[in-house]
Amino acid sequence: MAGSEPRVHYLAGFSCPLGGLTSGKPRVLCHEEEVFLSTGSEFVYVYDQEGGLLTAVYQFPDQVWHLQLLALRRALYVLCARRGIYCLSLEPRRRWSSSQTSEDNKDSEASSPVITVDPEACVLPDTTLCAFTVHDDVLVALVQGPAQWKMQLFERPRPGEDCQPGGLVGEVELSTSTPPAGPPGKATVPCFLPVLCCVSPPGSKVPLGHPQGCGGFMLEKALFGLLFGADATLLESPVILCGLPDGQLCCVVLKALVTSQSAPGDPKALVKILHHLEEPVVFMGALKTEPQAEAAVESVLSCEDVYSDCLVALGHHGRTLAIKASWDKSGNLVPELREYCLPGPVLCAACSGGSRMYHSTPSDLCVVDLALGGIPLNSEQPQPDGVPGGLPPLLCPASLSICSVLTLSVLPNTPAGDTELLALSTKGCLMTCRLELSSEMPGPTRMTTENTGQKIKELLSGIGDVSERVSFLKKAVDQRNKALTSLNEAMNLQDVLMATCLLENHSDFSLDQGWTLCIQVLTSSSALDLDSAGSAVTYTIPVDRLGPGSQREVTLPLGPSESGVLDLPVTVSCTLFYSLKEVVGGALTPSDPLEDPFLEEQPLDLLPEQEGICLPLSRQTVDMLQCLRFPSLAPLCARTPCPLGPAADLVDTFLETCRAPSSEVAGPAALRAKYLPPSTASIRVSTELLRAALEDTHSGVPLCSATLQWLLAENAAVDIVRAQALSSVQGVAPDGTDVHLIVREVAVTDLCLAGPIQAVEIQVESSSLADMCRAHHAIVRRMQTMVMEQAARGSSPPDLRVQYLRQIHANHEALLREVQTLRDRLCTEDEAGSCATAQRLLQVYKQLRSPSLVLL
Amino acid sequence: MSRQTLPGASAPRASCLDLWREKNDRLVRQAKGVMAQECGVRRQQLIQNILQGLKEVLLSLQGLPAAVPVLPLELTITCNFIILRVSLTRGFTEDQAQDIQQALKRVLETQERLGPGLELGLRELWDTVLHASCLLPDLLPVLHLLAGLQAAFWLSTEHLGDLVSLLQTLNGTQSRASEDLLLLLKTWSPPAAESSALLILQDARSLRDILLTASAFRQGLQELITGSLPKALSSLQEAASSMCSRSVLVQVYTALGNCLRKMGKPQRALLYLIAALKEGSVWGPLLLEASRLYRQQGDTTAELESLELLTEALSVTQAHSSKAPQVFIEVELLLTQPDPASPLHCGTQSQIKHLLASRCLQMGRAEDAAEHYLDLLALLLDGSEPRFSPPSCPPGPCMPEVFLEAALALIQASRAQDALTVCEELLSRTSFLLPKMPRLWEDVRRGTKEMPHCPLWVSAAHLLQGQAWVQLRTQKEAVSEFSRCLELLFRVMPEDKGQGAASNCEQGCRSDMTLQHLRAAALISRGLEWIASGQDTKALQDFLLSVQICPGHRDASFHLLQTLKKLNRKDEASAVWWKLKAPTQLPQEEATRSLPLYLEAYFNWIHPPDCETLLEEFQTSLAEPC
Repeated sequence: MAGSEPRVHYLAGFSCPLGGLTSGKPRVLCHEEEVFLSTGSEFVYVYDQEGGLLTAVYQFPDQVWHLQLLALRRALYVLCARRGIYCLSLEPRRRWSSSQTSEDNKDSEASSPVITVDPEACVLPDTTLCAFTVHDDVLVALVQGPAQWKMQLFERPRPGEDCQPGGLVGEVELSTSTPPAGPPGKATVPCFLPVLCCVSPPGSKVPLGHPQGCGGFMLEKALFGLLFGADATLLESPVILCGLPDGQLCCVVLKALVTSQSAPGDPKALVKILHHLEEPVVFMGALKTEPQAEAAVESVLSCEDVYSDCLVALGHHGRTLAIKASWDKSGNLVPELREYCLPGPVLCAACSGGSRMYHSTPSDLCVVDLALGGIPLNSEQPQPDGVPGGLPPLLCPASLSICSVLTLSVLPNTPAGDTELLALSTKGCLMTCRLELSSEMPGPTRMTTENTGQKIKELLSGIGDVSERVSFLKKAVDQRNKALTSLNEAMNLQDVLMATCLLENHSDFSLDQGWTLCIQVLTSSSALDLDSAGSAVTYTIPVDRLGPGSQREVTLPLGPSESGVLDLPVTVSCTLFYSLKEVVGGALTPSDPLEDPFLEEQPLDLLPEQEGICLPLSRQTVDMLQCLRFPSLAPLCARTPCPLGPAADLVDTFLETCRAPSSEVAGPAALRAKYLPPSTASIRVSTELLRAALEDTHSGVPLCSATLQWLLAENAAVDIVRAQALSSVQGVAPDGTDVHLIVREVAVTDLCLAGPIQAVEIQVESSSLADMCRAHHAIVRRMQTMVMEQAARGSSPPDLRVQYLRQIHANHEALLREVQTLRDRLCTEDEAGSCATAQRLLQVYKQLRSPSLVLL
Repeated sequence: MSRQTLPGASAPRASCLDLWREKNDRLVRQAKGVMAQECGVRRQQLIQNILQGLKEVLLSLQGLPAAVPVLPLELTITCNFIILRVSLTRGFTEDQAQDIQQALKRVLETQERLGPGLELGLRELWDTVLHASCLLPDLLPVLHLLAGLQAAFWLSTEHLGDLVSLLQTLNGTQSRASEDLLLLLKTWSPPAAESSALLILQDARSLRDILLTASAFRQGLQELITGSLPKALSSLQEAASSMCSRSVLVQVYTALGNCLRKMGKPQRALLYLIAALKEGSVWGPLLLEASRLYRQQGDTTAELESLELLTEALSVTQAHSSKAPQVFIEVELLLTQPDPASPLHCGTQSQIKHLLASRCLQMGRAEDAAEHYLDLLALLLDGSEPRFSPPSCPPGPCMPEVFLEAALALIQASRAQDALTVCEELLSRTSFLLPKMPRLWEDVRRGTKEMPHCPLWVSAAHLLQGQAWVQLRTQKEAVSEFSRCLELLFRVMPEDKGQGAASNCEQGCRSDMTLQHLRAAALISRGLEWIASGQDTKALQDFLLSVQICPGHRDASFHLLQTLKKLNRKDEASAVWWKLKAPTQLPQEEATRSLPLYLEAYFNWIHPPDCETLLEEFQTSLAEPC
């Protein structure tokens, strides 16, 4: 890159809307020392490079979409959106007769006056005009019809002249399969405008000084004849090349477009479709890819007669078409057609006089060379083998480290080997970039003092551009941060339960790109209703290389769901997934959504496909006991000075005190909590069983407290419970309702022949029936596990009174039967009836939950 | 507007309606003034402004809930807006359909017949509105105007079924008996507008008349193209007898002339054409039709004269044809642009110029033909006249063929040197497109569309150059050009006849035939030169080869017969003679007809002078004992 360090000079800044200018419509042209510039707004600026100041600002009634300068005739043609084409005479003495609004009270010399362009300057009023090009004495306009594009040919109107309707010399409809977006007549601004340019045959007397990129170039005769046919060649007629937003690339022989006025031309005879890029065409140009010296020798005439031998067209997403004439094996002249993929989205492009094409994306300005075979310019490699004169098989864009250039123009009259570009950036900066791209670049070792001075200058001038680049990158980072912040905010707005998963690689192998961690969060939609399948959310997190021993932490929200209810228990299961399809597909088309901020519609499809490898990792159930919080225990904790505590307290305390008086929420839940007796449930376990189960871990602790510690083992509050040896706690469920856990020792009589059984009763109380059920469910789950373990150890239960057990069993059977019938009735009854049934059902459930049985 | 309004309850509303009313009337008056006085871009801009004004009033009206007292005004403004917009853009677009639909929905809103979310098509909307309109007698005049616009839209977009159904509803005749569009239009009588009514740009009756003319004319032209001539005649006469402007009348008369000529009534056709001429404006298709008529009658002088007039007319009328329309919606807006199949299609100036030149060539007026061709080429190649385009529009010849025809005409007119220049020009401009090595004909076929012709043009140019040298009596040059031509022609191999004969298009067959005949022509021409220099054996070779290449071509056989006779090779000569006697002339006739003009005319030069005498002489010599 050392050789092609650009030297950027800022010339002027132009006003730009918030968020920067948009691509597609800004234009910049240069003639001698004057720069003509439009930024996509309704102004056209004339800037004097020598004096470094604005000399004129023209204001048009609507957005300016295109500029073209006829330098010899000193006429500037301007396409104004939804108005038509204006022609300004650029005579220095006789400016266009216009009303100078701000001249009355201001010194016109000091500040450049804004000249409101007179409606009389409109030479071709047409509300549907989308593109035009002026060539010699004709003007070609592209008009958006209801279903098709229409190309119209006019005699070129002079400044101050009307384009008489009689001036319409020819007309033809371009056959497009897809009609242009948006109905005509509606004020919709098209995203992409068609591109028109005029291709002249070799030797035609095009006025010299026709600036390149201003809509015209010459092609050498073999390519010209091949592309446009024998008629165009014989007639030496210019050809209008047209690139449409739907990707079609077609051409019309200008001399053939002349039609009798009574009938528009026959599209089949006049329009030839050259190619279809399948993405909006943003640029068309021509290059000289044959080695210059060779070509100059071949045509001994003069160096200027070396015509372009390669036609290029660029699509918005970077698809590039290059066409050259070549001879096939049997000696026929055939078109060599190649498509390349350059980084997109392409904002603009320009061709230098030689074989280089510059194209700009939001992140960089790149140069490709179609003669060097696309080898990066700095590497001095021989030409690729193959037929000389063929197109390179691959293009390697070389970065010039200039970003967000919206429009480019190659300045003429630069010293040989150098290229100077005139560019306008997204921020409205007009700058020139001088690129030293001569092939015989001095090596970096030959650094003389002069060189050093020059180098420093270049570096300094480079800083300016770097700042712009930085600002672009910063913008991207800001956007990302903003997105994350708002995501965080959205999460913090609600009281969200977060789960943290830790993925640790204990193996000796590293997990490479392509693996995704899938975390499935499965909620039972209702813990009470076991039949219903819960809802599942799957999070997929791509694992970007996880080396041996390293770990990755992922935090996810567990709920509440959209209904606002957190359905506990929640099961979290983790799997590692390797999608073959995605990896293979990703290798083919790498796409980073951040690289492409202009394409909102790009789907970010990261969901794993079916085709892949799946490794289940672990499965964890989160229940009510783990989610309970104990604010009543917190003061104890707060008394000990906590280093993290005071950080946010001033505001928090204030808010807390403000909220305190009105904290009595008046919701139905609160009312119920206040006035209704809490729902309760209890479980009894024999002391013996519990002791056996807990003796390993909680020996020496009172049994009630040990039981509570055992239940809350996975809760953060377990330490406090242990420290204070609590046997009952008042907790808060995630939805804010109180849950009371009470553990006490009881003696159960009647059950055993040997006498009363010592047992532990665990009682759950809550004002919310649902939370009580969830807690009960969680306790039962733990009991089940414990009983299973103890049964495996083979402890023997004491003798029981079988008769009594039978009695209880029969009672339960009856209750269960009643439950069944009540539930059946619920389905069939009307509202009033079902209410009563539900009441009864609740009672039965309550009875069932308070069994007289003990787990032994 | 300056009227004082009392702070009453109803007064402000009334004044608001008046305000809108006055604005409509003012804008309509303004538009009529602009139409009568202004022209060009200025007129367009002014009309654009008036349209903007109408749109503003319309938007404020549509912003309010639809109400019966305001509806006539609203619909009137909608109609004015549509009329002006169509007049500005010179045609109907989908926008107008939407405007009409919007207006109809507003009518139904007042009748509460428009259910929410009910999407009716235009046809159903009209049915509903017209059935509801009996409840709203005040609305009837403007509804008829709107229906007229709808009819014009459907006519110009060729939705004739919808159009007929709308007219049936308007006429109140639901019987299936009257499906005749013209009859329906004639029976439709829109109610006359009251004198105190709102100003409108164009009334329903005028629209009805325009619709009638346009429908009759369109129908007549369609029938003319499909060949049902008696029907076309009556439709066109209907159009001629209804209201139409002069320019439309000229068109109708021309179509009538065309129709009558095709019906074999040249005198009546001529009367119509003369009547059209009397209408004043000179119109291209009229002159073209006249030339066709004269051609059919065999009056070459008159035919060529009218063609000459036509080329002049075309170069003039284009500049002057921007006549400003005086009516907003006129018949012209409802007619389609004539496509090449239409009898009213006339083509461009260069196409007519080429027609004139080639007719001169065909009729043997070599001097004129040469002049016309040179004019044509000068205009095409000069480029200073941007209004001139090549005649190459299929099925016409392509540009290289025009060059070849020009060269041929020049040789015919004894201007061999000029012919050489034209050929030189053609060669210098196309030679780089030639293949570098011989190749198979099949490859040529698969190449780009135009490539197969390229060698043919180039070799034909050499052929003509040879003939020019013949005329200049430079035998050596002539023979070398013929040889060069043959060399190029034999690089192109004819394809294998066995395959793909049916699948190939006409273009391919024509190229094959042209190739064969070009070879034969070159061989015969070279043979004739050999004979002129006394090298009879060489000539014999060439003639033999040409007979082999083009077995059906009699000219080659005659030359062969003559040479064989001269060389006294009687057996071979009699074999050729027997073949010539066999009655199989037809294929050749057909073949030459499909050849390009330059080749067809070329064969006239190398045609043996008196074939019949030769055959007879030979017959008598056969009878003589050896």
